[in-house]
Amino acid sequence: MGSATPMPMPNPTPVGTDTERGFKKAILRLVKGGPERLAIEAGQIDSIIDPASGHAILLPGAQRALIERKVGFRSLIGLAFDWYWEQDERYRFVSYRSATDEAAVFGEMGLIGKALWDLEIDNISDEDWRTHRQQLEWRIAFRELEVRREDGAGEVQYLSMSGEPIFDEHGRFKGYRGVTRDITERKLAQAMRQEPAGLANTMLNALGAAVGVLDQAGTMLASNQAWRALAATDPNIGGSAAEGTNFLEECEDAGVDERVDGVTIAAGVRQVIAGTRTLFQYDYACDSAKGRRWFALRATRVADHTAARVVISREDITERKHTELLLGLEIAVMRSLADAQSASEAIRSVIRIVCEMQGWDYGRYFRIDRSAGVLRYHDSWGIPTAAVNQFLDQSRGLVFSPDAGLNGRVFQSGQPLWVCGGTPDAGLSPMALAPETGRDGAFLFPVTSQDGIAGVLAFSGRNMREPDDRMLQTVHAIGNQLGRSLVRQQAQDALRRSEMRFRDLNELACDWYWEQDSEFRFTQIVGCSPFGAAEFLGMTHWDLPGVILTDAKWADHKSQLDARWSFCDFEFATVDAEGKHAYYSICGQPLYGEAGVFSGYCGTGLDITKRKLAELALRESEARGRA
Amino acid sequence: MTRKKKKRETPDAAMGTAVVMVLYVTDSGPNSIRAIANLEAICEEHLKGNFRLEVIDVLEFPLRALADGIVVTPSLAKVSPLPAAMVVGNLSDKSGVLRALGING
Repeated sequence: MGSATPMPMPNPTPVGTDTERGFKKAILRLVKGGPERLAIEAGQIDSIIDPASGHAILLPGAQRALIERKVGFRSLIGLAFDWYWEQDERYRFVSYRSATDEAAVFGEMGLIGKALWDLEIDNISDEDWRTHRQQLEWRIAFRELEVRREDGAGEVQYLSMSGEPIFDEHGRFKGYRGVTRDITERKLAQAMRQEPAGLANTMLNALGAAVGVLDQAGTMLASNQAWRALAATDPNIGGSAAEGTNFLEECEDAGVDERVDGVTIAAGVRQVIAGTRTLFQYDYACDSAKGRRWFALRATRVADHTAARVVISREDITERKHTELLLGLEIAVMRSLADAQSASEAIRSVIRIVCEMQGWDYGRYFRIDRSAGVLRYHDSWGIPTAAVNQFLDQSRGLVFSPDAGLNGRVFQSGQPLWVCGGTPDAGLSPMALAPETGRDGAFLFPVTSQDGIAGVLAFSGRNMREPDDRMLQTVHAIGNQLGRSLVRQQAQDALRRSEMRFRDLNELACDWYWEQDSEFRFTQIVGCSPFGAAEFLGMTHWDLPGVILTDAKWADHKSQLDARWSFCDFEFATVDAEGKHAYYSICGQPLYGEAGVFSGYCGTGLDITKRKLAELALRESEARGRA
Repeated sequence: MTRKKKKRETPDAAMGTAVVMVLYVTDSGPNSIRAIANLEAICEEHLKGNFRLEVIDVLEFPLRALADGIVVTPSLAKVSPLPAAMVVGNLSDKSGVLRALGING
């Protein structure tokens, strides 16, 4: 059997009414009862050849199968490549079509009318282009030509292109056609696999913490971008160590202020290198142009099959430390206020704590004189230097009216105010500020109570910086706490003064004060009593030696005590070893606990010897007169 | 579109005259696929490679089918040795096929 001669192609999937008509006609032509007709009826036939048209007419089952096959084929094509393209005889792209509905990448390249080498492809050298063009000139099919480009967003894309020449029916070259696949994911994955070091670097650079790797001598082997950035902005203890330099030496060469931290860090890292510890952690502070900054250093030992390494990580923890310090300041202020015995002590204590914890030189408190409507200097604390003492001495007697100077402005506005680095606020000259800021900056905030502003706290020092929100929150809390404490202290001071006055008056009225327990035993005797010695504590009144009183009077007194009555002018006499008499009068009242339980007696005593002796002398004189 | 053509002929003539057949199919029509499979099995079992088979896709070469007097697909035409025979359908009737091919099942 010879092979068939190619013929014009029939329509493989005739549809519509013409098809149906043709199909029926073809069926009718078949001999009834013939094998073809029987096979059709048995469902074993795919198509009927129409002798009139020469077309093969598909039966429904075959039509469906063909359609399904086409769809499946298209799907498989989509798996095989992403784009189909054609070029003209000058190798310019004239058409392209995506195998799927996705991926517009190929179109974004703007390739229509351009040759491949006109596109922005960055991985093929001029030499390689020449070779490729030579292949095209020779009309050779090319396979898997990999090109790399970056899109507008800087994303790298890898494309694999294959093509073959096309010719017309006369054998004339018409151009190329081919397919392209996006192989970006595969290429990137390959790159990652082939370059573990590159992957490690990428991961290292992705870390927010500054990370450096040391060898056993402390030499910096590698560092990430964060380390290098930190070295540029904050070259603190060991932080300026670059690759190839010795981290440990840099730490030990730290400036005077940072020497202790530098030496400590170097010693800790050496221990990690030696393997005597697996982890070294250290928090330290450094002064920089941006102010005081805190860092958390962590050194970890890692060992592989070649040699041990130490990974150093440094993290800027300034914000966290700052918050911790301010919280500590608030707590310290609260404790000092709780311990303060007077308003002045509270003020000085708060000023001292704030100065010490913030590194400021001195602070002053200006109290509001409501009657005069001005702020008056009240108290201060400063570091013990001559300059500070002199400045604080000059502050005594200072008075600010509202809106006068910084203090007056805080007094009037009720808001914190600051002057940093000697730069005065707008509208105030440095000369005008000198009495308020001293040599450096100043930070002022109101002290508030329920009645409004109670005063202004004004601090000065060299380390004055513009406060952040957390600092303002802290000074607001301190101002409130101090204000409330002052109100409480002032009330306590008034009470204390009142008690003092009462005691003074009491001392004028009596000679001693005494207390007894519920069994009438002395527990306390204060003042000039005839029983001042401690050995008499624990005795009852009637047990005391040398007391002269009749039994009837004792019985009367005891019955009063048992009845829990108050008593007054209970007089008795004592006689000492020399037989000398003294006379006393005592008053007392029962004491009750919080639950109303009787707990004893308290009272006062008065030496009435002079009066008694005078009375006795008078009586004797009267008796002599009558005689 | 492809024209499927399959030829198998044993080099050993000792087995007798090779059976020459033409199978007319419609691309990937279900009955055509089944006919090819059925015929493959029969040839494997009974002809042991001593055959020559040409597969014609009528969608590609309709006039060839028309010229050969084919009116439906799948159709199997035994060309030689004579007498010629024709079987239509998916060749699932094995005995009918063997009979047409002149093979004693």
